[in-house]
Amino acid sequence: MPAVLIAVASAATSCTPMRLNDLGHLLQVMGTFLGLSLFSLGGGNTLLTEYHHLSVEQYCWLRPSQFADIYALAEAAPGPSSMIVGLLGMGAGWPEGPGWALLTAYGAEIAILLPSTLLMVVACLSWNRLRDSPWRVAFERGLGPITLGILFAVGVKILKTADTNAAGVVVSLLVCALMLRTRISPLWFMAVAGGLGAFGLINR
Amino acid sequence: MTESLAPGTATPSPPGLRQLFTGMLMVALSAFGGGLSAWSQRIIVEQRHWMSNEEFLTGLTVARLFPGPNQINMAVYVGTFFRGLPGALAALAGMLLVPFTLLMGVGLLYFQFHTLPALDRVLAGVVAAAAGMALSMGFKILDQYWKDPMALLLAAVTFVLMTFFHVRLVPLVLVAGPLAMAWYWPRPSHPPVPQGERR
Repeated sequence: MPAVLIAVASAATSCTPMRLNDLGHLLQVMGTFLGLSLFSLGGGNTLLTEYHHLSVEQYCWLRPSQFADIYALAEAAPGPSSMIVGLLGMGAGWPEGPGWALLTAYGAEIAILLPSTLLMVVACLSWNRLRDSPWRVAFERGLGPITLGILFAVGVKILKTADTNAAGVVVSLLVCALMLRTRISPLWFMAVAGGLGAFGLINR
Repeated sequence: MTESLAPGTATPSPPGLRQLFTGMLMVALSAFGGGLSAWSQRIIVEQRHWMSNEEFLTGLTVARLFPGPNQINMAVYVGTFFRGLPGALAALAGMLLVPFTLLMGVGLLYFQFHTLPALDRVLAGVVAAAAGMALSMGFKILDQYWKDPMALLLAAVTFVLMTFFHVRLVPLVLVAGPLAMAWYWPRPSHPPVPQGERR
């Protein structure tokens, strides 16, 4: 009982990591991602602030700097960037050992993809009816501006989470401008900035 | 093979589950340097003649419209097009197998070694670049809304609510989504309609 009280008390001040060796907790995590799946507008990046909230503030799987690292890894790796959910799951399961980390990673990724995949299958099969429906037009035109606002909020959130020194912020703004003005592969920006970090010009 | 140039006709023998899996595996492997959507078009339309270009472009439209990552939705579209739900799962598995396995390897290394000071220093730099990439996402689609004051207002309100009032995503979308949909509901006399029919 005292252990519970300490846990509750510390939860009030800083957050306590959720123990994932309990299968019930794993299912709870998967349930969270299942529920978020259909809110991944604009290609899935709209969920990043929510991922941050869940993994850093609510469940304490990751420290803020780890969240920033994981975001960068998912962006640098080949393949869809939504695979970040696998890394979040891995972070959640890591305290229980690599086996649990992998299990949680696969569970989280399946959970985030399953509902949107099922909806997509239904959409494909009924697209001929949907195409000219007023619902389709209103959804596309109405959710677009909301997606725009969310993406700006995501950008600011990631920038805050990165929490680098002034030189780092300058590099972030420069990369943002270059992403918009040039077609240089972002991997180059990451490589150069990583070098600047290695030499201590960017730190956090 | 030449039949596939006409819209609405697929190959005489549409791909089976195994072919869908290997086809999307090829797309994922080819796209290691980026450009996933260009590679899937090249492989699915030009090399394997599974779909006409129109059918592929319809898929892109559907993939962007519905929730979920665009490239993953595209794989689901291709799979569903030929084999329904089993096809979708086969295509999805093909698309994700190699990149996800690789990312899991990177993740295990990261969680094992991220406390090393040298690695942390490099990551501090990489994170700064990644933050710049995140920041550019909104600006990338800003242009298309520039002439629509209502869209800009909606975006601004969404941004302020999330960033300064810490409103969570799900309640925000559930409230703002229907309001925005009502505003943009197609009406014969309403200006957004011609724009909505552009495509």
